[in-house]
Amino acid sequence: MIKLTNVSKSFAQFQAIKSVSLTINSSEIYGIIGASGAGKSTLLRLMNILDTPDSGEVEVNGQLLTSLSQAELRQARKAIGMIFQQFNLLANKTAYQNVLIPLQLVDFPRHERKARVMECLDFVGLGHAADKYPAQLSGGQKQRIAIARALASSPQVLLCDEPTSSLDASTTAEILSVLDKINKELGVTIVIVSHEMEVIKSICNRVSVMAEGEIYDTLAIEPQGVQHLEKSPQSFVEQLKGEGGG
Amino acid sequence: MIPDVLRQYQSEIVEALGETFVMVGVSVVAAVLIGLPIGTFLFLCRKGSLLENKWVYSILDTLVNIVRSIPFLLLVVFLIPFTRLLIGTAIGTAAATVPLAIIAIAHYSRLAEQSMLDVPRGVLEAAVAMGASVKDVIFKFLYVEARSGLVFGLTTSTVSFISYSTVMGIVGGGGIGDFAIRYGYQQFKTDLMLYVMIIMVIIVQLLQFVGTTVARKIDKR
Ligand SMILES: Nc1ncnc2c1ncn2[C@@H]1O[C@H](COP(=O)(O)OP(=O)(O)OP(=O)(O)O)[C@@H](O)[C@H]1O
Ligand SMILES: [Mg+2]
Repeated sequence: MIKLTNVSKSFAQFQAIKSVSLTINSSEIYGIIGASGAGKSTLLRLMNILDTPDSGEVEVNGQLLTSLSQAELRQARKAIGMIFQQFNLLANKTAYQNVLIPLQLVDFPRHERKARVMECLDFVGLGHAADKYPAQLSGGQKQRIAIARALASSPQVLLCDEPTSSLDASTTAEILSVLDKINKELGVTIVIVSHEMEVIKSICNRVSVMAEGEIYDTLAIEPQGVQHLEKSPQSFVEQLKGEGGG
Repeated sequence: MIPDVLRQYQSEIVEALGETFVMVGVSVVAAVLIGLPIGTFLFLCRKGSLLENKWVYSILDTLVNIVRSIPFLLLVVFLIPFTRLLIGTAIGTAAATVPLAIIAIAHYSRLAEQSMLDVPRGVLEAAVAMGASVKDVIFKFLYVEARSGLVFGLTTSTVSFISYSTVMGIVGGGGIGDFAIRYGYQQFKTDLMLYVMIIMVIIVQLLQFVGTTVARKIDKR
């Protein structure tokens, strides 16, 4: 599904990615973990040519992205969703209008757009928030809207750059469940970049560990499932007592 | 209620206000139709941006700086041959709109660029990742997120255009500022000058109020 062959990327003198090759299979949830500055985000951004590799080849959905014209690349990107740590929603558009944008970009049949937007919002459990602006939503809700937006044009691949890193533990679980559901129900291949071990362990079936612009190791793991943290007030009290009393 | 001097000069004042309206109106139109695109190119051509282009950026940036750094009266005089070429005469309200439009374009392109710089980079990055073309990025993302700043900047610019227009008397442009100087100052009608100043303050206040209200209304951040 995604195949990188000897890709390298430098910023000025600094080599951020050093001749990396990797293959991500269809319908996998693939994790990339590593220390800050290891080159995780850069590697992810090479997968949809948000950063252009200096050398090497990038293949996604059977298309060699590194050989496409600008117009062809735009077309190919419509089948590759992406979500970010900072959500990157349009603050001046409602949740509904945000999800509508990719449909406008792909010339989705006009009379089917509304149903499609609502379908995506319902999928992430936010159909009721269609008319809310991002400023009126919590971090977890914003990320779910961003996921709905990424799903609207039915991509085969979803790239996630630290999707839960600005969220608390219980909201993280919520987002991970949605991502897992996207993979299981829609068969979307997912790549998750994170520096949080629990995130990677809970839903990924293969993981690459990155260090200094290279892949240190790649392992197959058994996803442990999303840990749903208790967030009732009583559970907080009990946890506090438990820890206080030893 | 209305002071006698104002009654006495009513028709001249109305005419002068009309001239100011034309001069400022043309400036605003030029700012939006030409200044906004230039501001957009300044934003898009800068380093690390979508259409990064050192040459286009430097040329536009320098032009805007030059126009804005020349004292306005000198600019008006300097542009006389160009104005004559364009309008056929360098005297009168129509001729006065030429230097005003040019300063308006330079002024607003800078403010427009600034309000686009306030749009989070990530939003435009998400747009590119979605497969948006440059045109889509501009109209579906950039202007949507920058719109409040664009309106606020245009309001600020318009107030400046009114101020610039007051000196257009030197090329026979007329306008309310010129009226205040000719009748009020030069003919020692201090009360008339004062009333005209009050009228101008009210106009600017109204304009600023409308601009600020609209800018706030369309800002959902
Ligand atoms: N646009 C850029 N210009 C210059 N240097 C960059 C750029 N993007 C990344 N780098 C550098 O490349 C290296 C890898 O960055 P990258 O963002 O991929 O790391 P990361 O593993 O995602 O780290 P983090 O966990 O902090 O997000 C860093 O040293 C960073 O400073
Ligand atoms: Mg990163």
